[in-house]
Amino acid sequence: MTAYILMVGAPVLGLLGILEAGRTIAAPPSIGGEWTLQFDAGPQCAGIPASLNISQSGPAATITLNDGRTIQARVDGVTLSGESLRVSIAGKAGSRTLIGVLSLNGCGPVAFHAIRRAAAKRDA
Amino acid sequence: MLNLFQLVLQIAVILVAARVVGFLFQKINQPQVMGEMVAGILLGPSLLGWLAPGISAALFPPASLTYLNALSQVGLVVFMFVVGLALDPTELRGYGHAAVLTSHVSIAAPFCLGGITALYLYPRLSDDGVTFTGFALFMGSAMSITAFPVLARILSERGLVRSRMGTMAIACAAVDDVTGWCILAYIVVLVRVTHSGRPASVTIGGSLLYVALMLFGVRRILPAFERAFRKRDQLSDNLVAVIVVLVLASALATEWLGIHLLFGAFLMGAIMPKAPAFSRYLLHKFESVTVVLLLPLFFAFTGLRTRIGVGGGSIWLYAAIVIVVAITGKLGGSMLAARLAGMPWRESASLGILMNTRGLMELVILNIGLDIGVISPAMFSIMVLMALVTTFMTTPLLEWVYPTRLFKAQLDEVHQNVA
Repeated sequence: MTAYILMVGAPVLGLLGILEAGRTIAAPPSIGGEWTLQFDAGPQCAGIPASLNISQSGPAATITLNDGRTIQARVDGVTLSGESLRVSIAGKAGSRTLIGVLSLNGCGPVAFHAIRRAAAKRDA
Repeated sequence: MLNLFQLVLQIAVILVAARVVGFLFQKINQPQVMGEMVAGILLGPSLLGWLAPGISAALFPPASLTYLNALSQVGLVVFMFVVGLALDPTELRGYGHAAVLTSHVSIAAPFCLGGITALYLYPRLSDDGVTFTGFALFMGSAMSITAFPVLARILSERGLVRSRMGTMAIACAAVDDVTGWCILAYIVVLVRVTHSGRPASVTIGGSLLYVALMLFGVRRILPAFERAFRKRDQLSDNLVAVIVVLVLASALATEWLGIHLLFGAFLMGAIMPKAPAFSRYLLHKFESVTVVLLLPLFFAFTGLRTRIGVGGGSIWLYAAIVIVVAITGKLGGSMLAARLAGMPWRESASLGILMNTRGLMELVILNIGLDIGVISPAMFSIMVLMALVTTFMTTPLLEWVYPTRLFKAQLDEVHQNVA
């Protein structure tokens, strides 16, 4: 009985403590999923994609453009930055938007905002 | 659009890889299924995609994976039915407090350690789309699972099935499996309710009603199949088809309720009559096509989703932490509990090693976790690596701690004493 309390009861109580302690831990903002890009003045350059897919693991993000190319980026606070893009992450988890600039394929920096079409498999 | 040529080619390549690597793994005393799991990883971006990206892209273009996934999911539904079918509650009786203590500790210890690990990994490998509670509970349940089918196969191959340690391992793994799936069902409900907008009362109330209907309604009509089997030592094709339809209906019910279709298939198997001849007949009927054809597709699909190395160099550190924690919690916890319950050290350690086998059950759980978004792609890859390591280490470690010659010598001694 003592062994049971010690070896089963203690971990269960410990887990409850962990779940309570974990509530205060903040994770990076969720940006994984399919995004549609919108340009205020229309895409000024043919090399700029109309949509992209973000695969996120914590602060690390792999952005796949609709032509298959990938960009490695990193989330730092509410900023997503990588080679050829710098984006501000706005809104809450359910209604997040991206606002920033892209410079790809010889195109100069293009301002855009993006709306998430589907989160990464969350409702699968 | 479905490219039939491509799909058939994919299946052929996967089956050849699974059989070849499985055969090679058998040569080094590993279970065939371990080789099949590794074959899946080798076909994915971690090896084929890295060595020959052109061939990988031509063979497995992302758009074609939908069909491969659909086929592998059908295979998993049948496989989970088979796993449930192989579970026999009577195996749990008669082991007293040793089995109860060991099985409960083998869940509680890794679960708690998984939670502690989640405190460190949540901000590093997750995002705010997942609550800490969901992430930590998933980590805990993924750490505490035991691969009942792989464990049974290892015991059988080593002639340990009827030993005290073997029967105890099977009993504990059965408890672990049932508990693990119940906890996972809770996590899936927790995550899906948060994101689907469906009232929690519908999912929870519906799930309870479904379980009650299965246990007190459907379960009572199932012995009719066994009676039909006893008359002719086989079932007609029509009756087999009815069983398949029942499995599918149960799977659809749990999917509709928002749990997951695999739970329905598992429960259907678990409540089937357990008369040995009937169970063996159904296992034989369903197992061969699933194990030979459909499970390798699931391993390949898992491999195609596994990107070892994604997330940078720190991933290897996280992987090492996860592997050490998983082994400490499961192997260490089970071993200590068995020792406290009065088993000798050697048998306690062997039991811990066996309980540490995660195998393909871990892959099933991880795929569910990735599908519902409770773990990230990097976390998925790390956990797949952990599943491979803990499964791979079982046979050599068991041979080292409890050599076959020693076990056989003890068995001969017992027989001589009895004679």
